[in-house]
Amino acid sequence: MNVIEAENLAKTFRVRQKEKGMKGSLQAILRPRIKEVQAVDGISFSVEAGEMLAFIGPNGAGKSTTIKMLTGILYPDGGRANVLGIDPAKQRKRLAYEIGTVFGQKEQLWTHLTPYDNFRFFGAIYDSPDRETESRIRELADTFELGSFLNTPVRNLSLGQRIRCEIVASLIHRPKVLFLDEPTIGLDPVVKENIRALIKQMNRELGTTIFLTSHDVGDIEKLCRRIIIVNSGRIVLDDSMDHLKHHYLNRKIVEAKLGEETALPAAEGITLLKQKGSQVRFQVDTGRLPINEALHLIDAENLEDINISNIPLETIITDIYKAEGREEKAV
Amino acid sequence: MSTAVKNQLRVCLLAIKYNIMREMLNRVTFLTNIGFMILNNATFILQWMILFHIKEDIGGYTMREVMLLWGLAASTFGLSRIFFARAFSLPDLIVSGKLDSYLVQPKNVLLSVITSATNTSAIGDLLYGLILLCVFCFSLKRLFLFLLFTVTGAVILAAFALLLGSLSFWFLRADAFAQHLMNSFISFSTYPDGIFHGAARFLLYQVLPVGMVIYRPVHVMVDFDMGSLARILAYTVLICALAATVFYRGLRRYASSNLMEARM
Repeated sequence: MNVIEAENLAKTFRVRQKEKGMKGSLQAILRPRIKEVQAVDGISFSVEAGEMLAFIGPNGAGKSTTIKMLTGILYPDGGRANVLGIDPAKQRKRLAYEIGTVFGQKEQLWTHLTPYDNFRFFGAIYDSPDRETESRIRELADTFELGSFLNTPVRNLSLGQRIRCEIVASLIHRPKVLFLDEPTIGLDPVVKENIRALIKQMNRELGTTIFLTSHDVGDIEKLCRRIIIVNSGRIVLDDSMDHLKHHYLNRKIVEAKLGEETALPAAEGITLLKQKGSQVRFQVDTGRLPINEALHLIDAENLEDINISNIPLETIITDIYKAEGREEKAV
Repeated sequence: MSTAVKNQLRVCLLAIKYNIMREMLNRVTFLTNIGFMILNNATFILQWMILFHIKEDIGGYTMREVMLLWGLAASTFGLSRIFFARAFSLPDLIVSGKLDSYLVQPKNVLLSVITSATNTSAIGDLLYGLILLCVFCFSLKRLFLFLLFTVTGAVILAAFALLLGSLSFWFLRADAFAQHLMNSFISFSTYPDGIFHGAARFLLYQVLPVGMVIYRPVHVMVDFDMGSLARILAYTVLICALAATVFYRGLRRYASSNLMEARM
Protein backbone atom coordinates (compact mmCIF):
# COMPACT_ATOMS: atom_id res chain seq x y z
CA MET A 1 0.00 0.00 0.00
CA ASN A 2 1.33 3.43 -0.90
CA VAL A 3 1.61 5.89 1.98
CA ILE A 4 3.16 8.72 -0.03
CA GLU A 5 2.16 9.67 -3.53
CA ALA A 6 3.40 12.65 -5.52
CA GLU A 7 2.07 13.37 -8.97
CA ASN A 8 3.66 16.08 -11.12
CA LEU A 9 4.47 17.99 -7.98
CA ALA A 10 5.91 21.44 -8.75
CA LYS A 11 7.06 24.50 -6.87
CA THR A 12 8.45 27.77 -8.20
CA PHE A 13 10.07 30.46 -6.10
CA ARG A 14 10.25 34.10 -7.13
CA VAL A 15 13.68 35.40 -6.26
CA ARG A 16 14.59 39.08 -6.36
CA GLN A 17 17.72 39.79 -8.42
CA LYS A 18 20.16 42.60 -7.74
CA GLU A 19 23.26 43.82 -9.56
CA LYS A 20 26.34 44.32 -7.44
CA GLY A 21 27.09 47.51 -5.49
CA MET A 22 25.09 50.63 -4.64
CA LYS A 23 24.15 51.19 -8.29
CA GLY A 24 22.58 47.75 -8.33
CA SER A 25 20.66 48.53 -5.13
CA LEU A 26 19.28 51.74 -6.66
CA GLN A 27 18.31 49.89 -9.85
CA ALA A 28 16.58 47.22 -7.75
CA ILE A 29 14.41 49.93 -6.14
CA LEU A 30 13.48 51.58 -9.44
CA ARG A 31 13.24 48.49 -11.63
CA PRO A 32 13.06 45.36 -9.50
CA ARG A 33 13.98 42.20 -11.38
CA ILE A 34 12.37 38.97 -10.31
CA LYS A 35 13.70 35.61 -11.39
CA GLU A 36 11.57 32.51 -11.23
CA VAL A 37 13.38 29.47 -9.91
CA GLN A 38 11.78 26.12 -10.57
CA ALA A 39 12.72 24.32 -7.33
CA VAL A 40 10.61 21.23 -8.04
CA ASP A 41 9.70 20.54 -11.62
CA GLY A 42 6.81 18.08 -11.89
CA ILE A 43 8.11 15.09 -9.99
CA SER A 44 6.10 11.90 -9.50
CA PHE A 45 6.84 8.97 -7.21
CA SER A 46 5.26 6.80 -4.54
CA VAL A 47 6.47 5.21 -1.32
CA GLU A 48 5.10 2.02 0.20
CA ALA A 49 4.25 1.51 3.87
CA GLY A 50 7.31 0.47 5.92
CA GLU A 51 9.72 1.46 3.16
CA MET A 52 12.97 3.34 3.83
CA LEU A 53 13.47 5.71 0.95
CA ALA A 54 16.48 7.90 0.33
CA PHE A 55 15.65 11.11 -1.48
CA ILE A 56 18.95 12.63 -2.40
CA GLY A 57 20.53 15.23 -4.61
CA PRO A 58 23.03 18.10 -4.53
CA ASN A 59 22.33 21.50 -2.96
CA GLY A 60 19.37 23.22 -4.59
CA ALA A 61 18.13 19.98 -6.16
CA GLY A 62 14.65 20.34 -4.62
CA LYS A 63 14.88 17.77 -1.82
CA SER A 64 13.85 20.01 1.07
CA THR A 65 11.20 21.75 -1.02
CA THR A 66 9.66 18.37 -1.83
CA ILE A 67 9.69 17.30 1.82
CA LYS A 68 8.13 20.63 2.79
CA MET A 69 5.33 20.16 0.28
CA LEU A 70 4.72 16.62 1.55
CA THR A 71 4.51 17.82 5.16
CA GLY A 72 2.24 20.80 4.45
CA ILE A 73 4.83 23.52 5.09
CA LEU A 74 4.78 24.74 1.49
CA TYR A 75 1.89 24.94 -0.94
CA PRO A 76 2.66 23.28 -4.27
CA ASP A 77 2.24 25.39 -7.43
CA GLY A 78 1.29 22.37 -9.47
CA GLY A 79 0.50 18.67 -9.27
CA ARG A 80 -0.78 16.92 -6.19
CA ALA A 81 0.57 15.21 -3.10
CA ASN A 82 -1.03 12.62 -0.92
CA VAL A 83 0.39 11.32 2.36
CA LEU A 84 -1.55 8.56 4.14
CA GLY A 85 -4.58 9.49 2.05
CA ILE A 86 -4.40 13.14 3.19
CA ASP A 87 -3.69 16.18 1.02
CA PRO A 88 -0.95 18.09 2.92
CA ALA A 89 -1.96 21.45 1.42
CA LYS A 90 -5.60 21.11 2.43
CA GLN A 91 -5.48 19.11 5.69
CA ARG A 92 -2.18 20.12 7.24
CA LYS A 93 -3.32 19.70 10.87
CA ARG A 94 -4.87 16.28 10.28
CA LEU A 95 -1.73 15.11 8.56
CA ALA A 96 0.51 16.44 11.35
CA TYR A 97 -1.03 13.90 13.77
CA GLU A 98 0.13 11.07 11.49
CA ILE A 99 3.64 12.13 10.53
CA GLY A 100 6.87 13.12 12.25
CA THR A 101 9.50 15.51 10.93
CA VAL A 102 13.13 16.10 11.77
CA PHE A 103 15.00 18.92 10.09
CA GLY A 104 18.71 18.58 10.77
CA GLN A 105 19.19 22.27 10.08
CA LYS A 106 16.24 23.51 12.13
CA GLU A 107 15.75 22.82 15.77
CA GLN A 108 12.22 22.23 17.00
CA LEU A 109 13.16 21.83 20.64
CA TRP A 110 13.15 24.71 23.12
CA THR A 111 16.81 25.15 23.99
CA HIS A 112 16.29 26.39 27.56
CA LEU A 113 14.12 23.44 28.50
CA THR A 114 15.26 19.91 29.29
CA PRO A 115 14.48 17.14 26.78
CA TYR A 116 11.93 15.83 29.31
CA ASP A 117 10.02 19.15 29.42
CA ASN A 118 10.24 19.40 25.64
CA PHE A 119 8.74 15.94 25.22
CA ARG A 120 5.93 16.85 27.64
CA PHE A 121 5.26 19.92 25.49
CA PHE A 122 5.21 17.84 22.33
CA GLY A 123 2.87 15.39 24.04
CA ALA A 124 0.47 18.30 24.67
CA ILE A 125 0.81 19.43 21.05
CA TYR A 126 -0.35 16.01 19.92
CA ASP A 127 -3.19 15.93 22.51
CA SER A 128 -1.65 12.99 24.27
CA PRO A 129 -2.83 12.47 27.89
CA ASP A 130 -0.07 13.14 30.46
CA ARG A 131 0.12 9.52 31.59
CA GLU A 132 0.51 8.24 28.04
CA THR A 133 3.18 10.87 27.29
CA GLU A 134 5.08 9.80 30.42
CA SER A 135 5.17 6.15 29.42
CA ARG A 136 6.09 7.07 25.84
CA ILE A 137 8.98 9.23 27.08
CA ARG A 138 10.27 6.35 29.22
CA GLU A 139 10.00 3.93 26.30
CA LEU A 140 11.78 6.23 23.82
CA ALA A 141 14.39 7.38 26.35
CA ASP A 142 15.32 3.70 26.75
CA THR A 143 15.49 3.01 23.03
CA PHE A 144 17.47 6.16 22.24
CA GLU A 145 19.56 6.00 25.43
CA LEU A 146 18.66 9.49 26.64
CA GLY A 147 18.67 8.59 30.35
CA SER A 148 21.89 10.41 31.25
CA PHE A 149 20.82 13.77 29.80
CA LEU A 150 17.02 13.68 29.95
CA ASN A 151 17.04 16.46 32.54
CA THR A 152 19.84 18.60 31.10
CA PRO A 153 18.79 21.77 29.23
CA VAL A 154 18.92 21.21 25.48
CA ARG A 155 21.36 24.09 25.00
CA ASN A 156 23.95 22.15 27.02
CA LEU A 157 23.70 18.98 24.92
CA SER A 158 26.11 17.91 22.20
CA LEU A 159 24.88 18.05 18.60
CA GLY A 160 24.49 14.26 18.48
CA GLN A 161 22.45 14.22 21.71
CA ARG A 162 20.27 17.03 20.36
CA ILE A 163 19.53 15.20 17.14
CA ARG A 164 18.57 12.09 19.14
CA CYS A 165 16.21 14.28 21.17
CA GLU A 166 14.80 15.85 17.98
CA ILE A 167 14.04 12.37 16.64
CA VAL A 168 12.42 11.32 19.91
CA ALA A 169 10.29 14.52 19.94
CA SER A 170 9.09 13.64 16.46
CA LEU A 171 8.14 10.12 17.61
CA ILE A 172 6.14 11.03 20.73
CA HIS A 173 2.83 10.62 18.88
CA ARG A 174 3.77 7.34 17.13
CA PRO A 175 3.84 8.70 13.56
CA LYS A 176 3.28 6.33 10.68
CA VAL A 177 5.66 8.22 8.40
CA LEU A 178 8.85 9.96 9.47
CA PHE A 179 10.41 12.65 7.30
CA LEU A 180 14.10 13.14 8.02
CA ASP A 181 15.71 16.10 6.29
CA GLU A 182 19.50 15.84 6.60
CA PRO A 183 19.35 14.30 10.09
CA THR A 184 23.11 13.65 10.26
CA ILE A 185 24.30 17.04 9.03
CA GLY A 186 27.31 18.27 11.01
CA LEU A 187 27.66 15.08 13.05
CA ASP A 188 30.89 13.16 13.52
CA PRO A 189 31.16 9.63 12.03
CA VAL A 190 30.55 7.81 15.34
CA VAL A 191 27.38 9.78 16.13
CA LYS A 192 26.21 9.40 12.51
CA GLU A 193 26.56 5.65 12.82
CA ASN A 194 24.60 5.72 16.06
CA ILE A 195 21.75 7.76 14.56
CA ARG A 196 21.60 5.46 11.54
CA ALA A 197 21.34 2.38 13.79
CA LEU A 198 18.45 4.00 15.69
CA ILE A 199 16.59 4.92 12.52
CA LYS A 200 17.01 1.38 11.26
CA GLN A 201 15.78 -0.06 14.54
CA MET A 202 12.73 2.21 14.48
CA ASN A 203 11.83 1.10 10.99
CA ARG A 204 12.32 -2.57 11.86
CA GLU A 205 10.50 -2.58 15.18
CA LEU A 206 7.73 -0.05 14.61
CA GLY A 207 7.29 -0.40 10.87
CA THR A 208 7.63 3.39 10.48
CA THR A 209 7.99 4.52 6.88
CA ILE A 210 11.16 6.58 6.54
CA PHE A 211 11.56 9.34 3.97
CA LEU A 212 15.15 10.47 4.21
CA THR A 213 16.95 13.29 2.47
CA SER A 214 20.67 13.51 2.87
CA HIS A 215 23.85 14.65 1.25
CA ASP A 216 25.71 11.84 2.85
CA VAL A 217 26.10 8.80 0.62
CA GLY A 218 26.90 6.82 3.79
CA ASP A 219 23.42 7.53 5.23
CA ILE A 220 21.79 6.21 2.13
CA GLU A 221 24.04 3.20 1.65
CA LYS A 222 23.50 2.02 5.20
CA LEU A 223 19.83 2.78 5.64
CA CYS A 224 17.79 2.60 2.49
CA ARG A 225 16.68 -0.09 0.13
CA ARG A 226 15.41 2.34 -2.46
CA ILE A 227 16.80 5.60 -3.69
CA ILE A 228 15.48 8.55 -5.64
CA ILE A 229 18.04 11.01 -6.95
CA VAL A 230 16.84 14.50 -7.83
CA ASN A 231 18.64 17.26 -9.59
CA SER A 232 17.37 20.66 -10.73
CA GLY A 233 13.93 19.73 -9.40
CA ARG A 234 13.61 16.55 -11.46
CA ILE A 235 14.00 12.88 -10.70
CA VAL A 236 17.09 11.51 -12.43
CA LEU A 237 17.00 8.06 -10.89
CA ASP A 238 14.45 5.96 -9.01
CA ASP A 239 15.99 2.59 -8.35
CA SER A 240 16.89 -0.04 -5.77
CA MET A 241 19.93 0.48 -3.58
CA ASP A 242 21.42 -2.81 -4.78
CA HIS A 243 21.30 -1.65 -8.37
CA LEU A 244 22.79 1.72 -7.53
CA LYS A 245 25.57 0.14 -5.49
CA HIS A 246 26.41 -2.17 -8.33
CA HIS A 247 26.51 0.59 -10.91
CA TYR A 248 27.52 3.78 -9.15
CA LEU A 249 28.67 3.26 -5.57
CA ASN A 250 31.34 0.72 -6.43
CA ARG A 251 34.07 3.28 -6.53
CA LYS A 252 36.12 4.71 -3.70
CA ILE A 253 38.48 7.65 -3.81
CA VAL A 254 41.77 7.06 -2.00
CA GLU A 255 44.00 10.01 -1.12
CA ALA A 256 47.38 9.04 0.30
CA LYS A 257 50.37 11.01 1.49
CA LEU A 258 53.55 9.03 1.11
CA GLY A 259 56.89 9.48 2.85
CA GLU A 260 58.77 9.31 -0.43
CA GLU A 261 57.55 9.85 -3.95
CA THR A 262 56.67 6.42 -5.33
CA ALA A 263 54.77 5.43 -8.46
CA LEU A 264 51.51 3.61 -7.85
CA PRO A 265 51.71 0.06 -9.22
CA ALA A 266 49.33 -0.51 -12.12
CA ALA A 267 46.46 -2.87 -11.31
CA GLU A 268 43.06 -3.69 -12.72
CA GLY A 269 40.38 -1.58 -11.02
CA ILE A 270 42.74 1.26 -10.10
CA THR A 271 42.64 4.61 -11.90
CA LEU A 272 45.22 7.21 -11.01
CA LEU A 273 43.47 10.58 -10.73
CA LYS A 274 46.31 12.81 -9.61
CA GLN A 275 49.85 12.55 -8.39
CA LYS A 276 51.80 15.54 -7.19
CA GLY A 277 55.08 14.75 -5.45
CA SER A 278 54.36 12.40 -2.60
CA GLN A 279 50.59 13.05 -2.72
CA VAL A 280 48.60 10.54 -4.72
CA ARG A 281 44.88 10.38 -5.46
CA PHE A 282 43.35 7.34 -7.13
CA GLN A 283 40.01 5.68 -7.70
CA VAL A 284 39.31 2.05 -6.82
CA ASP A 285 36.59 0.12 -8.62
CA THR A 286 35.61 -2.19 -5.75
CA GLY A 287 33.68 -4.38 -8.15
CA ARG A 288 36.96 -5.38 -9.76
CA LEU A 289 39.38 -4.94 -6.89
CA PRO A 290 38.33 -5.07 -3.22
CA ILE A 291 39.43 -2.01 -1.28
CA ASN A 292 41.64 -4.03 1.11
CA GLU A 293 43.56 -5.47 -1.84
CA ALA A 294 43.92 -2.00 -3.35
CA LEU A 295 45.42 -0.74 -0.10
CA HIS A 296 47.98 -3.53 -0.16
CA LEU A 297 49.43 -1.91 -3.29
CA ILE A 298 50.65 0.96 -1.11
CA ASP A 299 53.79 0.34 0.88
CA ALA A 300 52.53 0.64 4.49
CA GLU A 301 56.01 1.65 5.71
CA ASN A 302 55.98 4.58 3.30
CA LEU A 303 52.44 5.76 4.19
CA GLU A 304 52.08 8.97 6.24
CA ASP A 305 48.36 9.69 5.89
CA ILE A 306 45.37 8.22 4.08
CA ASN A 307 41.76 9.18 3.41
CA ILE A 308 39.14 6.96 1.76
CA SER A 309 35.85 8.45 0.61
CA ASN A 310 32.87 7.67 -1.57
CA ILE A 311 32.71 9.36 -4.92
CA PRO A 312 30.80 12.65 -4.58
CA LEU A 313 27.08 12.63 -5.24
CA GLU A 314 27.59 15.18 -7.99
CA THR A 315 29.82 12.70 -9.85
CA ILE A 316 27.17 9.98 -9.52
CA ILE A 317 24.57 12.32 -10.97
CA THR A 318 26.87 13.28 -13.84
CA ASP A 319 27.45 9.58 -14.54
CA ILE A 320 23.71 8.90 -14.53
CA TYR A 321 23.15 11.71 -17.00
CA LYS A 322 25.97 10.45 -19.21
CA ALA A 323 24.58 6.94 -19.06
CA GLU A 324 21.24 8.23 -20.27
CA GLY A 325 22.90 10.32 -22.96
CA ARG A 326 21.81 13.62 -21.47
CA GLU A 327 23.69 16.75 -20.68
CA GLU A 328 23.59 17.78 -17.05
CA LYS A 329 21.88 21.05 -16.47
CA ALA A 330 23.54 23.62 -14.28
CA VAL A 331 22.47 23.17 -10.63
CA MET B 1 -15.87 24.22 25.01
CA SER B 2 -14.84 21.71 22.36
CA THR B 3 -11.90 19.37 23.00
CA ALA B 4 -9.96 20.91 20.11
CA VAL B 5 -10.26 24.41 21.60
CA LYS B 6 -9.33 23.08 25.06
CA ASN B 7 -6.25 21.33 23.64
CA GLN B 8 -5.26 24.45 21.71
CA LEU B 9 -5.57 26.58 24.86
CA ARG B 10 -3.58 24.01 26.83
CA VAL B 11 -0.70 24.24 24.33
CA CYS B 12 -0.81 28.06 24.23
CA LEU B 13 -0.77 28.32 28.03
CA LEU B 14 2.04 25.76 28.23
CA ALA B 15 4.04 27.78 25.68
CA ILE B 16 3.49 30.99 27.68
CA LYS B 17 4.48 29.20 30.90
CA TYR B 18 7.69 27.90 29.28
CA ASN B 19 8.45 31.37 27.91
CA ILE B 20 8.15 32.94 31.33
CA MET B 21 10.24 30.10 32.80
CA ARG B 22 12.96 30.94 30.27
CA GLU B 23 12.88 34.61 31.22
CA MET B 24 13.14 33.65 34.89
CA LEU B 25 16.32 31.64 34.31
CA ASN B 26 18.31 34.69 35.35
CA ARG B 27 16.55 36.02 38.43
CA VAL B 28 18.50 39.30 38.60
CA THR B 29 17.90 40.22 34.96
CA PHE B 30 14.26 39.20 35.27
CA LEU B 31 13.59 41.43 38.28
CA THR B 32 15.68 44.40 37.12
CA ASN B 33 13.97 44.35 33.71
CA ILE B 34 10.59 44.64 35.39
CA GLY B 35 11.76 47.22 37.95
CA PHE B 36 13.50 49.48 35.44
CA MET B 37 10.51 49.43 33.10
CA ILE B 38 8.29 50.68 35.94
CA LEU B 39 10.88 53.34 36.83
CA ASN B 40 11.29 54.37 33.19
CA ASN B 41 7.53 54.83 32.80
CA ALA B 42 7.27 56.69 36.11
CA THR B 43 9.56 59.50 34.91
CA PHE B 44 6.74 60.70 32.65
CA ILE B 45 4.51 61.40 35.67
CA LEU B 46 6.82 64.25 36.59
CA GLN B 47 6.61 65.68 33.06
CA TRP B 48 2.81 65.68 33.19
CA MET B 49 2.73 67.18 36.71
CA ILE B 50 4.79 70.13 35.43
CA LEU B 51 2.51 70.54 32.40
CA PHE B 52 -0.65 70.50 34.53
CA HIS B 53 0.95 73.00 36.91
CA ILE B 54 1.15 75.41 33.96
CA LYS B 55 -2.26 74.57 32.44
CA GLU B 56 -5.23 72.97 34.19
CA ASP B 57 -6.75 71.28 31.16
CA ILE B 58 -4.91 69.72 28.21
CA GLY B 59 -7.08 68.58 25.32
CA GLY B 60 -10.02 68.12 27.71
CA TYR B 61 -7.97 65.89 30.06
CA THR B 62 -7.02 66.56 33.69
CA MET B 63 -4.04 64.94 35.44
CA ARG B 64 -6.29 62.08 36.62
CA GLU B 65 -7.43 61.24 33.08
CA VAL B 66 -3.94 61.48 31.63
CA MET B 67 -2.76 59.01 34.27
CA LEU B 68 -5.64 56.73 33.35
CA LEU B 69 -4.62 57.02 29.69
CA TRP B 70 -0.99 56.26 30.53
CA GLY B 71 -1.99 53.40 32.75
CA LEU B 72 -4.15 51.80 30.10
CA ALA B 73 -1.51 52.33 27.39
CA ALA B 74 1.20 50.72 29.55
CA SER B 75 -0.93 47.77 30.68
CA THR B 76 -2.30 47.12 27.18
CA PHE B 77 1.14 47.19 25.63
CA GLY B 78 2.49 45.05 28.48
CA LEU B 79 -0.18 42.37 28.28
CA SER B 80 0.17 42.20 24.52
CA ARG B 81 3.93 41.67 24.78
CA ILE B 82 3.62 39.10 27.56
CA PHE B 83 1.19 36.86 25.69
CA PHE B 84 1.67 37.69 22.01
CA ALA B 85 5.27 38.96 21.75
CA ARG B 86 5.93 37.01 18.56
CA ALA B 87 3.19 38.93 16.71
CA PHE B 88 5.56 41.91 16.89
CA SER B 89 8.46 40.03 15.28
CA LEU B 90 6.46 38.18 12.65
CA PRO B 91 8.33 39.70 9.65
CA ASP B 92 11.58 38.11 10.84
CA LEU B 93 9.90 34.70 11.15
CA ILE B 94 8.47 34.98 7.65
CA VAL B 95 11.56 36.29 5.89
CA SER B 96 13.94 33.87 7.63
CA GLY B 97 11.64 30.89 7.07
CA LYS B 98 11.16 30.19 10.77
CA LEU B 99 7.51 29.14 10.58
CA ASP B 100 8.35 25.55 9.61
CA SER B 101 8.33 24.11 13.11
CA TYR B 102 4.84 25.54 13.73
CA LEU B 103 3.51 24.29 10.41
CA VAL B 104 4.32 20.65 11.16
CA GLN B 105 2.35 20.74 14.40
CA PRO B 106 -1.33 19.75 14.47
CA LYS B 107 -2.32 23.04 16.02
CA ASN B 108 -3.48 26.48 14.91
CA VAL B 109 -0.34 28.00 13.35
CA LEU B 110 -1.34 31.56 14.12
CA LEU B 111 -1.90 31.01 17.85
CA SER B 112 1.16 28.78 18.17
CA VAL B 113 3.35 31.42 16.54
CA ILE B 114 2.18 34.50 18.40
CA THR B 115 2.31 32.83 21.84
CA SER B 116 5.78 31.37 21.27
CA ALA B 117 7.72 34.20 22.96
CA THR B 118 7.36 36.65 25.79
CA ASN B 119 8.96 39.90 26.90
CA THR B 120 10.03 40.30 30.51
CA SER B 121 9.99 44.09 30.68
CA ALA B 122 6.36 43.94 29.54
CA ILE B 123 5.48 42.61 33.01
CA GLY B 124 6.76 45.97 34.31
CA ASP B 125 4.46 47.79 31.87
CA LEU B 126 1.45 45.76 32.96
CA LEU B 127 2.12 46.36 36.67
CA TYR B 128 2.83 50.06 36.10
CA GLY B 129 -0.57 50.56 34.49
CA LEU B 130 -2.33 48.91 37.42
CA ILE B 131 -0.33 50.97 39.92
CA LEU B 132 -1.35 54.20 38.14
CA LEU B 133 -5.00 53.17 38.23
CA CYS B 134 -4.82 52.36 41.93
CA VAL B 135 -2.97 55.57 42.84
CA PHE B 136 -4.82 58.12 40.71
CA CYS B 137 -8.35 56.98 39.99
CA PHE B 138 -9.35 53.71 41.64
CA SER B 139 -12.91 52.39 41.79
CA LEU B 140 -14.13 48.82 41.51
CA LYS B 141 -16.15 49.56 38.38
CA ARG B 142 -13.16 51.30 36.82
CA LEU B 143 -10.86 48.41 37.74
CA PHE B 144 -13.21 45.97 36.02
CA LEU B 145 -13.41 48.16 32.90
CA PHE B 146 -9.65 48.75 33.00
CA LEU B 147 -8.98 45.00 33.01
CA LEU B 148 -11.49 44.43 30.22
CA PHE B 149 -9.98 47.17 28.05
CA THR B 150 -6.47 45.94 28.80
CA VAL B 151 -7.49 42.58 27.33
CA THR B 152 -9.33 44.04 24.29
CA GLY B 153 -6.46 46.51 23.73
CA ALA B 154 -3.81 43.77 23.95
CA VAL B 155 -5.75 41.65 21.46
CA ILE B 156 -6.28 44.58 19.05
CA LEU B 157 -2.62 45.55 19.31
CA ALA B 158 -1.47 41.99 18.60
CA ALA B 159 -3.92 41.73 15.68
CA PHE B 160 -2.66 45.05 14.31
CA ALA B 161 0.97 43.86 14.61
CA LEU B 162 -0.03 40.60 12.94
CA LEU B 163 -1.75 42.46 10.13
CA LEU B 164 1.30 44.63 9.48
CA GLY B 165 3.72 41.74 9.97
CA SER B 166 1.83 39.58 7.48
CA LEU B 167 2.67 42.10 4.76
CA SER B 168 6.12 40.47 4.77
CA PHE B 169 4.57 37.53 2.93
CA TRP B 170 4.19 39.94 -0.01
CA PHE B 171 6.86 42.63 0.49
CA LEU B 172 10.44 42.01 1.49
CA ARG B 173 11.04 45.01 3.77
CA ALA B 174 7.52 45.38 5.09
CA ASP B 175 9.00 45.09 8.59
CA ALA B 176 10.29 48.69 8.41
CA PHE B 177 6.81 49.97 7.49
CA ALA B 178 5.25 47.88 10.27
CA GLN B 179 7.79 49.20 12.76
CA HIS B 180 7.04 52.84 11.84
CA LEU B 181 3.31 52.35 12.32
CA MET B 182 3.81 50.56 15.64
CA ASN B 183 6.09 53.35 16.87
CA SER B 184 3.49 55.94 15.82
CA PHE B 185 0.89 53.96 17.72
CA ILE B 186 2.95 54.04 20.92
CA SER B 187 3.75 57.77 20.60
CA PHE B 188 0.15 58.83 19.99
CA SER B 189 -1.30 56.58 22.67
CA THR B 190 0.29 58.60 25.49
CA TYR B 191 -1.23 61.99 24.59
CA PRO B 192 -4.84 63.17 25.14
CA ASP B 193 -6.87 62.75 21.96
CA GLY B 194 -8.36 66.22 22.40
CA ILE B 195 -5.13 67.85 21.18
CA PHE B 196 -5.43 66.14 17.77
CA HIS B 197 -7.68 67.53 15.04
CA GLY B 198 -8.42 66.98 11.34
CA ALA B 199 -6.17 64.52 9.54
CA ALA B 200 -4.35 63.49 12.72
CA ARG B 201 -7.63 62.60 14.41
CA PHE B 202 -8.76 60.65 11.33
CA LEU B 203 -5.44 58.76 11.40
CA LEU B 204 -5.81 57.89 15.09
CA TYR B 205 -9.37 56.65 14.82
CA GLN B 206 -9.42 55.14 11.34
CA VAL B 207 -5.88 53.98 10.43
CA LEU B 208 -4.01 53.30 13.67
CA PRO B 209 -6.22 51.55 16.20
CA VAL B 210 -5.24 54.00 19.00
CA GLY B 211 -8.81 55.22 19.20
CA MET B 212 -10.20 51.75 19.92
CA VAL B 213 -7.32 50.62 22.13
CA ILE B 214 -6.86 53.74 24.29
CA TYR B 215 -9.03 56.85 23.70
CA ARG B 216 -12.50 55.37 23.50
CA PRO B 217 -11.88 53.03 26.49
CA VAL B 218 -10.62 56.00 28.54
CA HIS B 219 -13.80 57.90 27.68
CA VAL B 220 -15.89 54.89 28.72
CA MET B 221 -14.04 54.60 32.02
CA VAL B 222 -14.56 58.31 32.75
CA ASP B 223 -18.13 58.50 31.51
CA PHE B 224 -19.65 55.04 30.91
CA ASP B 225 -21.36 54.56 27.55
CA MET B 226 -22.74 51.16 26.49
CA GLY B 227 -22.66 52.04 22.77
CA SER B 228 -18.92 52.78 22.87
CA LEU B 229 -18.25 49.58 24.81
CA ALA B 230 -20.14 47.56 22.18
CA ARG B 231 -18.21 49.29 19.39
CA ILE B 232 -14.88 48.44 21.05
CA LEU B 233 -15.86 44.78 21.44
CA ALA B 234 -17.10 44.57 17.85
CA TYR B 235 -13.91 46.22 16.58
CA THR B 236 -11.82 43.67 18.53
CA VAL B 237 -13.60 40.79 16.83
CA LEU B 238 -13.38 42.43 13.41
CA ILE B 239 -9.67 43.25 13.50
CA CYS B 240 -8.90 39.72 14.74
CA ALA B 241 -10.85 38.22 11.85
CA LEU B 242 -9.13 40.55 9.37
CA ALA B 243 -5.64 39.83 10.75
CA ALA B 244 -6.24 36.05 10.68
CA THR B 245 -7.55 36.23 7.09
CA VAL B 246 -4.55 38.22 5.88
CA PHE B 247 -2.13 35.93 7.75
CA TYR B 248 -3.57 32.75 6.25
CA ARG B 249 -3.72 34.29 2.77
CA GLY B 250 -0.07 35.22 3.15
CA LEU B 251 0.86 31.81 4.49
CA ARG B 252 0.12 30.35 1.07
CA ARG B 253 3.04 32.44 -0.20
CA TYR B 254 5.39 31.33 2.58
CA ALA B 255 8.68 30.22 1.03
CA SER B 256 10.50 28.76 4.07
CA SER B 257 14.32 28.62 3.91
CA ASN B 258 17.21 26.37 4.73
CA LEU B 259 18.95 28.72 7.14
CA MET B 260 20.42 27.03 10.19
CA GLU B 261 18.29 27.95 13.18
CA ALA B 262 17.50 27.07 16.75
CA ARG B 263 14.33 27.61 18.70
CA MET B 264 15.45 30.11 21.36
